[in-house]
This record gives sequence, structure tokens and C-alpha cells, in this order.
Amino acid sequence: MLTFWTFARKFARNRAALLGLLVIVAVVVVAAMAPVWFPRNPLRIVGRPEIWPFVNPRFPLGTDSLGRDIAAMIAHGARTTLMIGIFASLTASLIGITVGSTAAYFGGWVDEVFMRIAELFQTIPNIIFVLTIVSILGQTITNITIAVGIVTWTPIARLTRAEFLSLRDREFVQACRAIGMRDLSIMVRQILPNALPPVIILSSLVVASAILFESAVSFLGLGDPNVASWGGLIGDGRTLIRSSWYICAVPGIAIMATVLALNLVGDGLNDALNPKLNEG
Amino acid sequence: MLRILFRRLVQIIPLILGVIIMNFGLIQLAPGSFLDVMTAEQQISDPAMIERMRILYGMDQPAAVQLLKYIWSVVTLDFGYSYRQNAPVLTVIMQHLPATALLMLAAIAVALLVGVVAGVVAAVKVNTIWDNLISLIAVFFFAAPTFWLGIMLTILFSVKLGWLPVGGMRTVGTEFGAIAATFDIARHLLLPAVSLGLFYAATYARVMRASMLEVYKSDFVRTARSKGLPGFQVVVIHVLRNALLPVVTLLGLQLGTVLGGSVVIETVFSWPGIGSLMLDSVMSRNYPVVLGVLVMSSVVVAVANAAVDIAYFKLDPRISAR
Repeated sequence: MLTFWTFARKFARNRAALLGLLVIVAVVVVAAMAPVWFPRNPLRIVGRPEIWPFVNPRFPLGTDSLGRDIAAMIAHGARTTLMIGIFASLTASLIGITVGSTAAYFGGWVDEVFMRIAELFQTIPNIIFVLTIVSILGQTITNITIAVGIVTWTPIARLTRAEFLSLRDREFVQACRAIGMRDLSIMVRQILPNALPPVIILSSLVVASAILFESAVSFLGLGDPNVASWGGLIGDGRTLIRSSWYICAVPGIAIMATVLALNLVGDGLNDALNPKLNEG
Repeated sequence: MLRILFRRLVQIIPLILGVIIMNFGLIQLAPGSFLDVMTAEQQISDPAMIERMRILYGMDQPAAVQLLKYIWSVVTLDFGYSYRQNAPVLTVIMQHLPATALLMLAAIAVALLVGVVAGVVAAVKVNTIWDNLISLIAVFFFAAPTFWLGIMLTILFSVKLGWLPVGGMRTVGTEFGAIAATFDIARHLLLPAVSLGLFYAATYARVMRASMLEVYKSDFVRTARSKGLPGFQVVVIHVLRNALLPVVTLLGLQLGTVLGGSVVIETVFSWPGIGSLMLDSVMSRNYPVVLGVLVMSSVVVAVANAAVDIAYFKLDPRISAR
């Protein structure tokens, strides 16, 4: 039986995953402290434009083309990034788990129809779909979050379906059917808890891809114009790559570090959960 | 073989129908009427003209009829007219499609070449410094946003070193012969293809390594070794060919993402393809083109997916035609 502590011990043995966790904690702390460290609006002009990083102690990461503090924008951007990443992943998980579990539990034509729909969403080029949704419904954080959730749920649905398929004919489920439990409560209260761990790990990886999607959307200038975002900062700095390339470099490193950390943690969780790699 | 081809193509039809219906749903969801946006974009204010457009686009009819009409017009490849380019939407898209296809193919070639070679090297030299180094690099490229990588490569190779052009597809204002023109396009293609391809190369390297190690364990590889074949021959002929299948699967699954990724990369390098067209249309609220791009790119992905499936039969005779 895998208890939480043996699981944590196995996870901690993986140094890369531990490092990833550390980076994520750092990003979360920065995001949480942003209003304290940088209490004023990060999109406000505070100094001379194009000050390089590490030159002026007031602006440790420099200023952008308009004279906005890059450090403040990075810190506030971390909030946007994490929020969109997490909520998009939750949206994707909600859709994916519902579709996947229903398809597997009922099987037959329900399965056929739901998997066709999943295939449909896999066929539509995801960025193009996100751009279409955002451009038609409006450039707000909520729309971006929903749009990213809509294009990232298919892997979660497939995994949930596979897990449900392997569980739905087990004896404990048959017992539940025998005592006359309703389908919905068998699915939610009996099968789902057993199917959930790998799905949760996949969701953590979906957070990483959601962050990449969000940054691409903001980079293209379709992000919410009222909030600081890492992708948007890269997009703004793009015109200045001849003189001030650091404006693009700094937020890109932030995105890369966060995504990298999430991937490492996801891999670490996967390994810790995988019984095949138990002692080794 | 022909039967499989036919069946696979028939499977595409409901998929495309689904895309069209989703498109229609999006139009219905748009705040304000679609007509408002279009008339505003084309600066039409004459009420009689607007009324004519309302009837032309069938907006005076119930949604179900509108949907059927919409499906019919898309099936007959009529995506409407783009006033911005002063041409039918289909023509506009077809003008931009070759550039995107070229970029996609080049990126996939980079991804396959780099990914497969890196994966093979990592698997052959498993648990050495090479293996670790390749894993480390792959992890980085897997996390870097492609557009950011593109900008960083531009800064290095175009701005600092001046080796490669910053963007575009051809050098403006020069007349070249056929060979020089090809070389010119290749020079412009290199950076976008690499920045897009490296992301997928990272995935392929990981998958290739795992699948090589898996195949290494099989009996037929041991047989090949024990009959005294040189190591290189075992790796290339016995292991590599069998280990390639998961990569092909992944390639098929990711075609949609590659097309999406090329949209972003195209805007970074002002590559004159579907992506640039898409962004331009999104910015100018030129919805007929936006929706046309969505449908056409889905069709491209669906057809390409079918092609990958068929390549499967060729690659692996064990997959028998059902």
C-alpha cells in the first residue's frame, strides 16, 4: 500500500524533480508577494526607458521600451501566468474527466461519439482555435483561460478513459452494481478515486502547456491588455532586439524555468507513482 | 490498400462537419451580430445595403436553416469574400498555404533528423555523459516557448552575427535565377524551421531513446548480435527501424500542433504563410478569413493524419489491414 509518506520519500529521491518543486515554490512566492513588493500598477511608467538589467539598483531587471519596471512586470506576470495555467488546467481536467469517464463507463455508441469529438478537437490546430475563440469572444483573461482549457482536454480524456476501462469491470464495481448503486455514484465515488492519481499528474503537465499557450497568445498581442504577462512583455520587446534584447530574454527565461520545473515535477510524480520503478 | 485509403478518407467527413458546426457555434456566440462586425469592418452604413447583406447571409432565417446553408457553402468551398485582400477567401488562403506547408515540412524534417539522431545516440550510449547531456538539452528545448527561441536565435544569428536574414521569405528587390532563388528561400527558412523543429525534436529524442531501449531487449536483436553482425548494422537495420514506429505515431498526433506552432513562428519571422494571414485577419476582425483558415487548416491536418496512418501500413507489415 502506497501511503503519502513513502510516496513523498520516493519523490524526494529524484533530485531533478525536487529542483523543479523548488522553482515552482519560488514562482508561487513571487506571485504571492507581487502586490507587497511592487504595490503599484506594474504597467505604470516609472523611469527612463531601456535601462539594462543590473545597472540601476532601483530596477534590478531593467526597464522596457516605455520605461516600465521589468521586475515588477515579471512578478505581476507570474500571477497571471499561474492563474491562467491552473484554471485552464482545471477546465481541461473537468472536461477531460467528464468525457473520458462517461465514454469508458457506458461504452458502445457513447464511447464512439465522445472519442470522435475528442478526435475533432485534436484535429483543429490548437493555437488557431484559441486565437479564433479569443478574437471572436473578446480578449479577456476568462476567455483565454477557457479557450486554452478547450484545446488541452483531449489527453486527459484519453487517460481517464483508459483508467476507467481497466477499472469498470473489477469486482468492487460489480459489487456496487449488485447492491443497486446508481451509475453516477459508482463513477464518482467508487471508480474515480482509483483512477485519479495518474490523471492529476497529467493535469500538472497540462498546466505547463497551458502556460506556453497563454504566453503565445499574449505574445501575439491577443492577451488581456490590462494585465502584465510574460508573453506580452516578449511581444512588446520584440521590436527592440537590435538595441535592448534583454527585454525579450528575461521574461522568456521566466517562462522556460516555470515550464521546465512543472515538467520535472510531473515526471518525478510519475516515476514515484509507477510501481515498476519501486526500488531502484 | 485502396479500400483502406477510401475508408480513411470517409472517416474525415464527420470530422470536417464537426469543425464547420463548431465554427457556426462560435459565430452565434459572438457578441453582437456577425453582420455588425462585417459592416463595421467594410464601413457599410447604408440600411438598404445592410438589409441586402442580411438576406444574402441568410440571417433572417432560423438558426437551423442558417447552419445548413453554412455547411452547404463550406462544402462547395465558398468561404465568402475578403474585402481586405479583394479576393475570395479560398483564393487568399490558397495563396498563403504553400509557404506554411514548406515551413511545416522543413520543421518536421529538422525535428525528425535531430530528434531521431539524438535519441539513437542517447540509447546507444545509455547512462553515459552523452545520454545525460542529450536528456538535459531536450528538457530545455521542451520547455522553451518556440517564439522566444525564434527571437533568441534571431538575436544571435541575424543581429549579432549577421549570418542569416531577420525575416521574410525572399530577399526583397533582387532578381535571382532558379538555383539562387531556392538558396535564398532556404536561407530564410533555416531559422524558423529550426526554432519550430527543436521543440518537437526534444519530444522525439525522448521517445526515440525509450523505444530504442525497449527494442534492444527483444530476442531478434540478441539473435542479430549473436550471429556476429557489426554493432552499427544491428542499431540501424534491426533496432532503429522498429523503434521508429512510436515516433511516427507521435508525429501524426502532433501535426495539428505543428501547424499551430507555425502560426506563431510565422509572425516572429514575418513568414508569408497562413499564420501571418491569420493574425492579420484576427487583428482586423476579418472573420470570413479567420473561419476559413480554421476550416482549411483542420482539413489539412485531417488529411495529413490519414496519410500518416497509411504510412503505418508501409512501415509495419505487422499491422494488418482490418
